[in-house]
Amino acid sequence: MLKPLIRRLIEMTVVMALVVTIVFVIVRIAPGDPAAMMLGPDATPQDVADLRVRLGLDQSLAVQYLRYVGGLLSGDLGQSIFLGQPVGAALLARAEPTFFLTLFSLLIACTIALPVGILSAYWRGSLFDQATTTLAMFAASVPSFWLGLVLMQVFAVKLGWFDPSGYGGPGAGLGTRLHHLVLPAVALGIVSSALIARFTRASMLDVLGDDFVRTARAKGMSEWQVVLGHAFKNALIPILTVIGLTAALLVSGAIVTETVFGLPGVGSLIVSAVLRRDYPVIQGALLVIAGLYVIINFVIDMLYLAVDPRVRY
Amino acid sequence: MTKPRLRFVLSVLTAAAAATAIMGPATAAPQKGGVINVATIGEPPTLDPVSSTADLVGIISQHMFETLFTFDKNWAVTPLLAAEMPQVSADGLVYTIKLRDGVTFHDGAKMTSKDVVASLNRWLKIASRGKQVAGFVTGVAADGDLGVKITLKEPYAPLLAFLAFNNAAAIIVPADAAAQDTLTKNIGTGPYMLKERKADQYIQLVRFDGYKSRAGEPDGYGGARKQYLDEIRFVPVPDASTRVEGAVAGQFAYVDSLPVESYARVQGGKDKPLILKPFGWPIFFMNHKAGVLANLDARKAVQAALAPEDMLTAAFGSKEFFSVEAPLYPKEYVWSSNVGTQAYKPQGDTEAAKALLKKSGYDGVKPVRILTSRQYEFHYKMALVAQEYLKAAGFKVQMDVVEWATLVQRRADPALWDIYITHSPFLPEPALINYMADSAPGWWVSDAKAKAVRALNTETDLKKRVKLFEGMQKLIYDEIPAYKVGNFNALAAKSPQLEGVVPAPWPYFWNAWLEK
Repeated sequence: MLKPLIRRLIEMTVVMALVVTIVFVIVRIAPGDPAAMMLGPDATPQDVADLRVRLGLDQSLAVQYLRYVGGLLSGDLGQSIFLGQPVGAALLARAEPTFFLTLFSLLIACTIALPVGILSAYWRGSLFDQATTTLAMFAASVPSFWLGLVLMQVFAVKLGWFDPSGYGGPGAGLGTRLHHLVLPAVALGIVSSALIARFTRASMLDVLGDDFVRTARAKGMSEWQVVLGHAFKNALIPILTVIGLTAALLVSGAIVTETVFGLPGVGSLIVSAVLRRDYPVIQGALLVIAGLYVIINFVIDMLYLAVDPRVRY
Repeated sequence: MTKPRLRFVLSVLTAAAAATAIMGPATAAPQKGGVINVATIGEPPTLDPVSSTADLVGIISQHMFETLFTFDKNWAVTPLLAAEMPQVSADGLVYTIKLRDGVTFHDGAKMTSKDVVASLNRWLKIASRGKQVAGFVTGVAADGDLGVKITLKEPYAPLLAFLAFNNAAAIIVPADAAAQDTLTKNIGTGPYMLKERKADQYIQLVRFDGYKSRAGEPDGYGGARKQYLDEIRFVPVPDASTRVEGAVAGQFAYVDSLPVESYARVQGGKDKPLILKPFGWPIFFMNHKAGVLANLDARKAVQAALAPEDMLTAAFGSKEFFSVEAPLYPKEYVWSSNVGTQAYKPQGDTEAAKALLKKSGYDGVKPVRILTSRQYEFHYKMALVAQEYLKAAGFKVQMDVVEWATLVQRRADPALWDIYITHSPFLPEPALINYMADSAPGWWVSDAKAKAVRALNTETDLKKRVKLFEGMQKLIYDEIPAYKVGNFNALAAKSPQLEGVVPAPWPYFWNAWLEK
């Protein structure tokens, strides 16, 4: 157990080092200039050049990179050019809506997808199976921002049950803040549920015909004990994988949904940072997201070990 | 009651009823209290208006920070923190400005000439517009506790307009804050002060109880500032569709910058449309330094080829939102004039354009590169129409559609574009127009321009300046630093309960109140 753990940790470090370098280079190569964005449309080229010097952007890429990596090694993600606060603090301030949005979306996705996937596999070829397959295809092909706008029109504008956008004003309690997450979480959850449902169905179909299922039935177990206690448990590994990847995708994939719903999460922070070329924030946010991906994958790998004793790394 | 007396009372009541019927119900008196949410186009890059020319920065920060002067409803300069208009020496070189007594900063400290001198020096050092003025300034000095003297090298008429403008603004902050290039605390003298800023969530401003308003009535950005509202919260809503839905649902008291296509939808919603007519002008900047349009005849060919009526129709749809007008200023401004605008053809003149293009010696090989963005969809739509008219005149055209940050960077490089598209609100003083500076992308530099700019800047009599601007306008149509497509209007939305808001290019809420 210890040896694969160490090997995976080394691999994770290499991946993160690559991410740091690639993101740094891509962000700098892309056209656009934070100084020009900061100064506004009527600034002269000389003003822009002066600000670039003040921000240290006139230095060579190598110098900027070494300074950035040096900061990272001491736990400093840098200072946002536009927000006037450390990148770490900016990300932390945006973590709550993104965390809850991801959590709720995932809960909604799993609540829909797991029963639907299990039942459509169990009743394979039935009307229920065909209907859920069609709905899953529809949900998978709908962009979450479009679904979000439709939900906004119906439940916020027409029915007035929610505010169309935002995360509550000053002093808003947790309840109010979470209330603002309902529509975006439903939009993301429905879209994400399609993938999980399809994987659950496929995975269940793989195991429902296996010998151990027949044996379980021959032993006189109830049908639901067979399906949930035996078949589902054995089908769980690929389902766990896709749930884990969906969670990671939701963290980064919420970008557009957060922007549409005006949620001050990590996703909208990235969008605004990209639009105004806030290099430190883009780098810091992508680094954190990449880190989350790596950690989630690591956790899934470790879960495999726990769920299936046959798995070896 | 006797009969004659009863008749008298009845006649008075009847007259009163008739008067009410004729005049309509009286407008309710402004009420103090309440909180408004204002949806803006996004998070401002900074709250320090000295360090940015972005309109959004000016819109928000003007509630917290004030300048010595501002603009009244007719766009004339009027005092704000200054007690009155300055005394200008006979040679036009010394401006003596008296400050209002009793003005305090948000931290309770009294504003004195020491703060004003430090703030103006900071503005001259770091603000884009301040740097434009700095070349004319010999020094800024205190004149007692409540007076400041600005000494110039030569007369500079736009000085007061520059001191009054609200982005890259000459705001007054405490002297110790002004000693640093970067503001660390947002302490001004404005009617509202910053309570909390949660980036991408809200900027919460609360009434500054120590505010000393000017006496009298509100007058544009000038006059009295009443502070009816308890709080103003600026909420960034970067997605235009979401702002529209917010207006329809009545989530915000005021929603800024809505797409004009949403007019009908907003009209049927809880907030009601508010049109600023006219707001500004779309501009096609031309590259004088390099490329096809460095040639004057080629620029004239572009000017002849373009059909602003079609371009504006494509961009804004309904005539409710644009007007095809050649003068650089609309009739609401003192600078408005038709002089020298004959080259502006609402339907374009393809034949004239072809002739001019032939005269220019254009080889038909090098394309005219139009640099534009879909950040503002109307820019892109105008570019599409312009492309077809330019092709019809014989130009080869290349559309470079990039996102806004890339455009802002690329326009600084003369090798990368021939036309770039932007827009601007009408600015109260011609010297504030971007291309009046030689260094502005487009790089319009000529002897005639230098002479015209100098004449306009050194003349202090407004009537004479207006006449000089007519000459400047003719020169602009002759040398074509940029092509003005026309005038367009801006759409916003406001709650029916929100009163006292006047449509303005940089909306302000210090005189607004909520009807209960």
